[in-house]
Amino acid sequence: MTTRALRRVLVPFAVVVLAVALGVFVLGRSHVQAGSPAMENPGIQLTASAASRYGSITEGRTLFEASCSACHGAGAQGSALGPSLLARGAATIDLWLSTGWMPLAEPTAQPVNKPPRFDRQQILDIVAFVTSLAPGGVSIPSAAALNLKTADVAQGFDLFSLNCAPCHTITGAGDALADGYHAPPLHGVTARQVYEAVRTGPSNMPPFGPRQITPAQLRGIIKYVTQEIEHPASPGGISLGGVGPVAEGFVGLFVGTGACLLAAFWVGDRTEREDDEHGGGQEEDPKDGLEGAHV
Amino acid sequence: MIDAVYGWLDDRLNISGSGRKLVNKIFPDHWSFMLGEIALYSFVILLATGVFLSLYFIPSSKQIVYTGSYVPLRGLHVSEAYASTIALSFNVRAGLLMRQMHHWSANIFLGAIVVHMCRVFFTSGFRRPRELNWIIGVNLLILAIFNGFLGYSLPDDLISGTGIRISFSILESIPFVGSYLATFLFGGQFPGSAIIPRFFIIHVLILPAIIAGLLGAHLALIVRNKHTQFRGRGATEKNVVGAPLWPTFFAKTNGFLFLVAAVTAILGAAVQINPIWLYGPYVPYHVSYAVQPDWYMGWLDGALRIMPSWEIHLPGHMVPNAFFPAILLPGVTFTLLMAWPFVEQRITGDRLEHHLLERPRDRPHHTALGAATLSFYFVLFGASATDVLANYLSVSLNFVLWFFRIAIFVVPLVIYPMTLKICRELQHTPGGGKTKRHNIVLRSPEGGYSTVVSQARPGDEPPVLEPVPLDGPELVGAMATGADRRSSGPLGAAATGQGGGVAGASRARGVFRIPRSYR
Ligand code: HEC
Ligand code: HEC
Repeated sequence: MTTRALRRVLVPFAVVVLAVALGVFVLGRSHVQAGSPAMENPGIQLTASAASRYGSITEGRTLFEASCSACHGAGAQGSALGPSLLARGAATIDLWLSTGWMPLAEPTAQPVNKPPRFDRQQILDIVAFVTSLAPGGVSIPSAAALNLKTADVAQGFDLFSLNCAPCHTITGAGDALADGYHAPPLHGVTARQVYEAVRTGPSNMPPFGPRQITPAQLRGIIKYVTQEIEHPASPGGISLGGVGPVAEGFVGLFVGTGACLLAAFWVGDRTEREDDEHGGGQEEDPKDGLEGAHV
Repeated sequence: MIDAVYGWLDDRLNISGSGRKLVNKIFPDHWSFMLGEIALYSFVILLATGVFLSLYFIPSSKQIVYTGSYVPLRGLHVSEAYASTIALSFNVRAGLLMRQMHHWSANIFLGAIVVHMCRVFFTSGFRRPRELNWIIGVNLLILAIFNGFLGYSLPDDLISGTGIRISFSILESIPFVGSYLATFLFGGQFPGSAIIPRFFIIHVLILPAIIAGLLGAHLALIVRNKHTQFRGRGATEKNVVGAPLWPTFFAKTNGFLFLVAAVTAILGAAVQINPIWLYGPYVPYHVSYAVQPDWYMGWLDGALRIMPSWEIHLPGHMVPNAFFPAILLPGVTFTLLMAWPFVEQRITGDRLEHHLLERPRDRPHHTALGAATLSFYFVLFGASATDVLANYLSVSLNFVLWFFRIAIFVVPLVIYPMTLKICRELQHTPGGGKTKRHNIVLRSPEGGYSTVVSQARPGDEPPVLEPVPLDGPELVGAMATGADRRSSGPLGAAATGQGGGVAGASRARGVFRIPRSYR
C-alpha cells in the first residue's frame, strides 16, 4: 500500500477513534459528576458516622453556612451561582479548600491559588459536613497512599511527561490553555494536593482513575512532582522560571549580546566627529587594496 | 627571540613583504565597527567549546536504559544521545559549564550577527562596492540560524524532539517535492534513527566548515575593499582614517575577544540554559505544552502560531498551512535581504562607489523602512511566546493570538512614520544625539558667577577644577579639559585655550596618535 492510500484509510480511522475517546471522556465525566459510586473505594458508602471521622459535622455546618451556602445552597445541592457538591467526595472538597480556590471571590473567573481561608481542622470539618450529606466521590488519601519511600520516581517522571506535561508543561511551570483556562504551576504543591487533583480532576483537568494510573504509579508521580520538579539541586545556575527558550532568548539577546555591545562601546572609539575635522589618524587610500597600505 | 624566529621565517617565506602591509592596515575603530567582531569571537568560542562537547557526545538514537547518576531518569529508555548529554552535564568535569557556554554563545553569536547587520544596513554600508560582502553576510546569518537549530536538536530531549518533528512536517509541506525531501533528509519516516547522526555531522563538520570559509571571504573582502568610515576627522571617500592593525588595533581587538569570552563564561556559569534533565528524553507520543525554539528560530515559530489555518488546493495537490509561515516567509525574507543592495540601487539610481557611511538620520526613508521591517520580525518573535504571555498576563490565549495577528500589520505601519519623523527632527537639531558637555561654574575674583560649557569629550574624565587664583587672567584655564592639564601642566594650558584642548584630548587617549617608532 502506498503512503497515500494508507493515509486515506488511517485518517478516517483516527477520526473515529478520537470521537469515541472524546465521547467516553465526556460521558465518563458526567457519569462521575452525577454522583455514581465513587471511582475509588467503590465499596465505601459514607454515612454521617463515617463522615464524622474527618471532623465535626456541626462545626462544618456552621462554617459552610457562613462561607459557602450563598453559592452552593444550604444543603450543598447547588444554585445558579455554584455547582452541587453532593457526592463530590472528600478529596474534591479538600483540594478546593487547601489550594485556596474556594470560597470563590468572583463568580466567573477560574479559581486562583491563594492562601487557604481555613486552617486544616476547619477544612476537615467542612469536609465532614459535606460528605455527610451524600455518599460518593474520592476520599482523602491515607498516609499509606502518600508514602513515597518506595515510590519509583523515574516511572513517575515518565508518566508525568506522558500525562501531565501536555497541560502543566514538562517543567511544571504551568501555562495558559485554550478557552481562557490555565494550568497552574506545580511548584510548591503538596503530596495530598497532587493525589487529589489527579484522582478528582478539578475543572479543566481530566480525572485519572486507578485503572489509568495505578496507586503505585501515582506515588511515583507524586514523588516526582513534590520532590524533583523544582529540582532544588538543579545545577547550572539561575533557572529562568522553567518557561524555556523564550526567557533564554531574552537573556541571550539583552544580557549576553547587550553586555558585548557595552564592551564594544567601552573598548571602541566613540568620539564625536563633526567638529573634529583636523584630527590625526593614519590614512590609507581605499583604491589600492593591499598594495598601498600607508606606512 | 621573537626577532630571531621572525627573521628565520622571513628568510624562507618572505613574509615581511605582504605581512608588513597587512600589519599596517588601517582600521577605523568606531565602537559600532566592533559588532561584527562579537560574532567572530563568539564563533571562536563556539568552536572551542564545541570541540570539548563533541569529545563526550554520542550521536546515536539507539535506545538504551539509563543507569547514570540522575535518579529521576534511572531505568528509563533514552537515546544514547540524550544519555551522553546528561552524563556530559552531570558527570564530566566542567561539562555543564561548557554546554551552557556553548549554548549561550550561540545565542550571542546570532544576536551579534543581527546587530552587526543592522549597523551595516542603517549606515548604508552595503552600497557599491560592498554588495558582495552583504550577500555573504546574509548567507552567514542563514547558516548560523540553521546550525543553531541543528545543535539545539542534538540532545534529543522532549522539547527539541518536538522541534524536529515540527521541522519534519514543515519540510513535508513544500509543494510537490516536500515528502521526498523530508524522507531523504531523515532517511525514512519520522523519527527514524538516522536523523541524530546526520544532524551531528552537519552541525559539527559541514556547516562550521562552510561558515569558516565564508567568514574568511567576508574578512578578506573587508581587507580588499577597505573598511567604511563615518564622516569627519579628515575622512574622505579616498582614504581610511584609524589605527593600524599592529599594534593598536590588534591589542584592542584581542582585549575584546577576552571580554566577549568573559561575558559568555559568566552567563554559562551563572544562568541555566536548556536544562534537558528537566525535559526528559524525547518520546514521540509525549508532548509538552509551551515548547519554543531558540530565539533566532522564534520568529518562524511565531509565524506558525499566528498563521490562520489556510490551505491552498492546487489541482491534484494540497499545499498545507505550514508552508506559508515556515517556508515562504523565510524564503522571501532572505531573498529580499540579499537583493536589497540592488533593489536600492534601482530605487535611488545611485550606482556610485561609497566609502563613507551615512548617518541613519540622513536617509530617513531608508532608516524608517529598516526599523519597520525589524519591528515586523520582533512582533513575530513575540508571537512565539503567546502561551507564556497569556499565562503571565492572565489573559486568554485567543486574545493574545488575535493581538499578534493585528499587531503584525499595525506595528510596522506605526514604526515607519515614527522613525521618519524622528530622523527628520534630528536632522534639524544640530546637537541632537550628542552627549551633553559639562557645565563649569566659574567664580570671578569679584565674587560674581558665570557658566561656561567645557570642551570635555565623552569618555574623558570630568575636568579637575583647581582653586581659582584670586587674581589674574588664568580663569580661562578652568575651561580647558582635564586631559589638557595632564599634558601641559595646570596653568600652561591657559594660553592655548580651546584649540589646544581638542588636540590634547586626542593625544592623551593615545588612540589616533601612534608613537613614531611604530610608523
Ligand atoms: C461566589 C460563589 C461561591 C462561593 C462563596 C463558594 N463557591 Fe465553591 N464553587 C463556585 C463555583 C462557580 C464553582 C465551579 C468552579 C469551576 O468549576 O471552575 C465552585 C466549585 C466548587 C467545588 C468543585 C466542585 C466540582 O464539582 O469540582 C467545590 C468542592 C467547592 N466549590 C466548594 C466550596 C466550598 C467548600 C465553599 C465554602 C468554603 C465554596 N465552594 C464557596 C462558587 C462558589
Ligand atoms: C487537560 C489539562 C490537564 C492535564 C492533562 C493535567 N492537568 Fe492538572 N490541572 C489542570 C488545570 C486546568 C488545573 C487547575 C484547576 C483549577 O484551577 O480549578 C490543574 C490543577 C492541578 C493541580 C492543583 C495545582 C494547585 O494549584 O494546587 C495539580 C496538583 C495537578 N493539576 C496535577 C496534575 C498531574 C499530576 C497531572 C498528570 C497526571 C495533571 N495535573 C494533568 C489541567 C491539567
